[in-house]
Amino acid sequence: MPIRVNLDRVLVERRMSLTELADRVGVTIANLSVLKTGKARAIRFSTLDALCRELGCQPGDILQFQPGPADTDDDFDAEG
Amino acid sequence: MRTIGPGSVASLLKIALDVAYAVLWVAVIGVSLALVSLLLSLPFISGTTHGSIMIDSRPENISGLIRRWPAVAAFLLTVDLYVLVLGFIVNRLRRVFETLIMGDPFRPANVRRLRTVAIALIALDVAGYLVRLTLAWMIPEVHERITYGVSLSGWFAILAVFVLAEVFREGARLRGDAELTI
Repeated sequence: MPIRVNLDRVLVERRMSLTELADRVGVTIANLSVLKTGKARAIRFSTLDALCRELGCQPGDILQFQPGPADTDDDFDAEG
Repeated sequence: MRTIGPGSVASLLKIALDVAYAVLWVAVIGVSLALVSLLLSLPFISGTTHGSIMIDSRPENISGLIRRWPAVAAFLLTVDLYVLVLGFIVNRLRRVFETLIMGDPFRPANVRRLRTVAIALIALDVAGYLVRLTLAWMIPEVHERITYGVSLSGWFAILAVFVLAEVFREGARLRGDAELTI
């Protein structure tokens, strides 16, 4: 996926744990883990808004574009 | 009426499919037993005459059928094949309905099931053609009344199931996206 999530780096910089962030943002730890590990397919503006508010950062600090092959449905086909 | 869960249309259809599946299994066992009985009894009955039977209001000598035992065996075999394919389709549909009752039909497994149903429908059409051929071989009198043409409605049904499989594929993809949307 060309979009890289730098949530772990931002968390280290803010010295905040994933559990604490999950509590503040109102998102489950499981969902934040999905986001942190780059497995998420999409992120809501409301989630991004809450993350930036609690972490005191810009969306660009969390998300980064890395040129590479576009995401396809191959994963789905392999599954199905 | 509820759309999913107990008492829903899906659960009622699932019951109908379960009954159809059981009936088809009984039919498979019955036809297979008839085929095995025919093959096992050949050494004992060949060359004898046992009166007559009525087929389509016309008298048919049973010894004639015995003489044509390869045709009878082929007919029973193709009927068995036809019912087996039908049972396979019903079983795939039962699995699809199980996921529907659970409230989660848009999953990759159902895409696969619907595709196999479409392919099985092609096999069913071919098996139906073979049944008609062997029936005409077994009872030459019915030859004129059997249609051997391509069933347009059958092939449209196959096309419709392939389209449905693609709809399910997209549905499963959207569901996956929704699940992984944070």
